[in-house]
Amino acid sequence: MLVAKGLHKSYWRKRNEVRVLQGVNLEVHRGEFLGIVGASGCGKSTLLHLLGTLDRPDQGEVYLDDERIDNRPSHHRDKLRNATFGFIFQFYHLLPELSTLENVLSPAMIAHSLVGWWKNRRELRLRAESLLERFGLSHRLKHRPSELSGGEMQRAAIARALITKPRVLLADEPTGNLDTETGGEIVRILRDLNQNDGLTVVVVTHNNDLAASCDRTVRLVAGRVEGAPFPVVNAKAG
Amino acid sequence: MYKLLLCWRYLCTRYLAMVCIISVMLGVATLIVVNSVMGGFSTKLKDRLHGLLSDVVIESIDPVEGFHEPAESMMERIRKSPAGPHIAAMSPSVEIFAIMRYRNPHSGRSITRMVKLVGVDPALQKNVGGFAEHLQDESRRRNPHFDLPKEALDRFWARQRALPELPAQPKQPIDDDGIPSLPRINGGRKWEPQPPEAAKLDKPPERAVPSKGIIVGHLLAHVRAPDENGVSKDHAILGLGDDVMIYTIGSGQLEPVFDQFVVSDYIKSEMSEYDSMYVYVPLEHLQHLRTMEGRVNTIQIRLKDYGKAKEVTETLRGLFPRYDTMVLTWEEKQGALLSAIRIERAILNLLLFMIIGVAGFGILAIFSMIVTEKTRDIGILKSLGASHWGVWSIFIGFGLLLGVVGCGLGTVLGLAITYNINEIEQWISGKTGSDLFDKSIYYFTEIPVDVQPVNIAVILLGALAIAVTFSILPAIRAALLHPVRALRYE
Repeated sequence: MLVAKGLHKSYWRKRNEVRVLQGVNLEVHRGEFLGIVGASGCGKSTLLHLLGTLDRPDQGEVYLDDERIDNRPSHHRDKLRNATFGFIFQFYHLLPELSTLENVLSPAMIAHSLVGWWKNRRELRLRAESLLERFGLSHRLKHRPSELSGGEMQRAAIARALITKPRVLLADEPTGNLDTETGGEIVRILRDLNQNDGLTVVVVTHNNDLAASCDRTVRLVAGRVEGAPFPVVNAKAG
Repeated sequence: MYKLLLCWRYLCTRYLAMVCIISVMLGVATLIVVNSVMGGFSTKLKDRLHGLLSDVVIESIDPVEGFHEPAESMMERIRKSPAGPHIAAMSPSVEIFAIMRYRNPHSGRSITRMVKLVGVDPALQKNVGGFAEHLQDESRRRNPHFDLPKEALDRFWARQRALPELPAQPKQPIDDDGIPSLPRINGGRKWEPQPPEAAKLDKPPERAVPSKGIIVGHLLAHVRAPDENGVSKDHAILGLGDDVMIYTIGSGQLEPVFDQFVVSDYIKSEMSEYDSMYVYVPLEHLQHLRTMEGRVNTIQIRLKDYGKAKEVTETLRGLFPRYDTMVLTWEEKQGALLSAIRIERAILNLLLFMIIGVAGFGILAIFSMIVTEKTRDIGILKSLGASHWGVWSIFIGFGLLLGVVGCGLGTVLGLAITYNINEIEQWISGKTGSDLFDKSIYYFTEIPVDVQPVNIAVILLGALAIAVTFSILPAIRAALLHPVRALRYE
């Protein structure tokens, strides 16, 4: 479903080139729960950003359903990020000026014009409320992010990622900022979304529990996928 | 939708935005107040400038000699010309500089003033405007004339009765001209003031004094001085029924001519230049005095539609000899002054718009800070699928919203100050003890204001344009932020 071929990516830091990815090949199967693990600075998050079209590779290609997406014009990639991919971040990245409900609705607001939003507002609001209810946040609809706990913020961020019914959920260390118990709760939610909703999940993590719950795990070492180009650890996906 | 929501939330939560709003508000309010007050002064001044001038004036190059063609013939030609249908009324007049001499009852001394002597037919002059409506005696505004009112007549006869018998009158250059004259009362003798109560009439005059009344400018007949309470007031030095001597020159031979007139009314246009210069006498009498019967040096014209002024003046310029006659609209006649007002107002507006320009730089600085502060939020929005254009729109919309709120508050504040400016002036004067608006200088009873919706619209559009323009740079910076770098921004 989502394929990366020979991805290279470098950053410049004070005139020094830092080669983050050096020819990453990866295939994410439909309905798979893929974990990307590796040491800090090995390029896990960069790979996730390239897969989700948040960034463009210096070299290499990214395909979604056999269609190349990394070289698409900016507005196409914006639409992909809005409708096809859902992002979850370590630091939740909720907009502080908006309430929980508004944060969840924000991708839908971006997707719709003013008129489109006005026509579909009830339906979208109901969907946002049902997502928040599913994640136990129905009592926090009007609360600002600053009034929520870490776990609540991450659940709200998951609800936000799901509002536009994406096909792939890209999670960048979703439990990295949470305690073990709350992190476990997030792991259960992600697993549930994968198993019951059939959502493809790619998660970058240091969390062993989360990595263990993945269908498959790939390890990045020095900017490359360790071992075979397309290793299959867990036989479930495919 | 998210753009509007975020604009609104940024407005409500970013206190720095309040600084932008206040600066735009103060700039707009200042511009509205200054424009309205300047507009008020300007409109009042224009009204007054137009006050004693008709729409179009035909003047002789030589005011002493006047037109060589009789006035009736000229007016007939004008009526028959293509300009004729556009003309509502015409009034021939003689305008000439003169010297007016009268006695100040307070000091007993004679006063000699340079005046502009205007001979008019009151009935015709009324129709071209700028005369009847400024007469102090309201009863003669509908049917203006030079006859003395009863109290003036009483006063005149009373004073005449009180004087001893006079020797023979000095020879006058004009006499027995068919126009009945008033008796001379100061034929070369010192004129002793008489208290009004001492003057008794043996019997009321049996005939009204015809023709030789004179209508004098208010400031020629009054002096403005503070009373015992320190309040500036006009004190009469030339009462109704008082007589004045007018000296001017005749037509042709340039011989001095003079005659005596009795004050029958005052004219007050509230334009000090006019009120301290103009005196009106019957046209026919002045023509006779100056030996230019039937001829005039000015024809005043009122148009049915002032919008046709240019067309009419062009036609009239072709109708009369170009080097003997000047055809001018009232605006052309006062061109220098009106241009000065326009230029002064334009420069002031430019300077005041620079105040909003300064506010614009404030917006630029504050927006740059907000973009830096919101870098991570911009990254979040881009990760959620917001486009460059969408992010750009948020900050432009924010600038516009600041402008709209600032303009709205500025308009309310500006109009509130404008409509209460006299009360504010009185309050400040009362508190500080100094007179901010000296009525004796401006010759207005209160600060004039003229709120022009078009001017306010221009101010608001200008302020909005400045607010949006200074938002563009920070908005572009926000739009071009790389989403990954923005998300990682600490």
